[in-house]
Amino acid sequence: MVDVSQHELVPEHTVLEEEALEDVLEEYNIDRTDLPKIKRNDPALPDEAEIGDVIKIVRDSRTTDQSIVYRLVVE
Amino acid sequence: MTDVAYDVDDDTIAVVEDTDLPRRLKDEVYETLEAREGATVEEADELAKAVETRYLDTRVEPLDPVGTVSAQSIGEPGTQLTMNTFHYAGVAEIDVTQGLPRLIELVDARKTPDTPMMTVYLEDEYATEREKAHEVVWNIEATQILALGDVSTNVADMRVQISLNEDTLQERLITAEEVAGIIEDSLGVKTVQQGTQIEFGPEEPSYRDLLQLVEELRDITFKGIEEVSRVVIRREELETGTEEFVLYTEGSAFGDVLEIEGVDASRTTCNNIHEIHRNLGIEAAREAIIEETNNTLAEQGLDDVNVRHLMLVADMMTNRGEIESIGRHGISGSKESVLARAAFEVTVNHLLNAAIHGEVDELDGVTENVIVGKPIKLGTGDVDLRMGSTTSGSGQAD
Repeated sequence: MVDVSQHELVPEHTVLEEEALEDVLEEYNIDRTDLPKIKRNDPALPDEAEIGDVIKIVRDSRTTDQSIVYRLVVE
Repeated sequence: MTDVAYDVDDDTIAVVEDTDLPRRLKDEVYETLEAREGATVEEADELAKAVETRYLDTRVEPLDPVGTVSAQSIGEPGTQLTMNTFHYAGVAEIDVTQGLPRLIELVDARKTPDTPMMTVYLEDEYATEREKAHEVVWNIEATQILALGDVSTNVADMRVQISLNEDTLQERLITAEEVAGIIEDSLGVKTVQQGTQIEFGPEEPSYRDLLQLVEELRDITFKGIEEVSRVVIRREELETGTEEFVLYTEGSAFGDVLEIEGVDASRTTCNNIHEIHRNLGIEAAREAIIEETNNTLAEQGLDDVNVRHLMLVADMMTNRGEIESIGRHGISGSKESVLARAAFEVTVNHLLNAAIHGEVDELDGVTENVIVGKPIKLGTGDVDLRMGSTTSGSGQAD
């Protein structure tokens, strides 16, 4: 199998710890279900990710240096 | 202290880092300061502060209708895009859909683009040696029987005779035995192979069956990927000054190509956002949507569209973890409000279905409030002002 994470279109995906998640949700004042979603079978998902986990994605942004976004694992 | 790649002193770094600017703007400030040698700390501070003020000024305000602004900002240049697809020789004489049709195809999230193509980068020696690069080409480009030799039908004996070309076989790295095997497997016939000659025929002598076999024979892919009809090999100069071979393909099979030996699976791309989504995930698909829309506009000289608008479109299209189109079947069709959906397309169907299911409209969005004539919840419309109001508890005026 091809290592998807090596592709230049794929940013870094990591599973967010529960404590860190609390801070994020508090900062944005939202529920975890308000976050953008990522499918359980997404090829770029880390192996250990489970449904309900939140994935932290660090993109090389076109407008700032790096942008950090979060996606909730669904289905 | 942050490390800075520019030749400025520590105090300057301190004042610039102290601002609320994003990394890129900070770097640009350093660059400017560096160019104006001998700027004092006060001057640096003044400059940084000025940039910061301007930056904060240009950020979107809360309750700004960013979606509407994006729609206008993409829509207006959209009127200047070419309407019809000329078979345009883009990179390496491959026809690619351009202009408005391509943009529509992208935001509609069509399952397959009109002209699928891939850009295949190669690894190591495959990228530098022409023979090696050709090996990869033969593993990608679909090879049919007519490329390998001549086919003739012997009506008297009810046989199909194939005379393979020795040189072509060698060049495309396939043997006559393999060809015969593939024919047996796909047509279900017994073949007689002698050297480069292959012969076979229908079980029962039948003229129709014979012609049928020839027809089917022409469609068999002997080597390569069925979807890829043509591969163009091009030598391209890298930024480092060295050259490498890059392959452009007509037709795409992204997943299959990534597995082929010699293909650089970290750079190879295709123009089908669904294939990217399937193989690389939703984040890569988002990236591809931005890249493709941006390139489509740039190709027509409309690259002054701010990339933030395209990013917003891509964010919306990938928000649910899968690619959704913009329109009735996608984002607009999944809106909560009945009135907002009805206002977009197929009004009667939406209203009818809503009535049947007893849907309730909370009147939270913009469209539905415009319809019923209430102020919309955007900009100043979201702010309630009161004068001389009373506190609910005491009933006394403040």
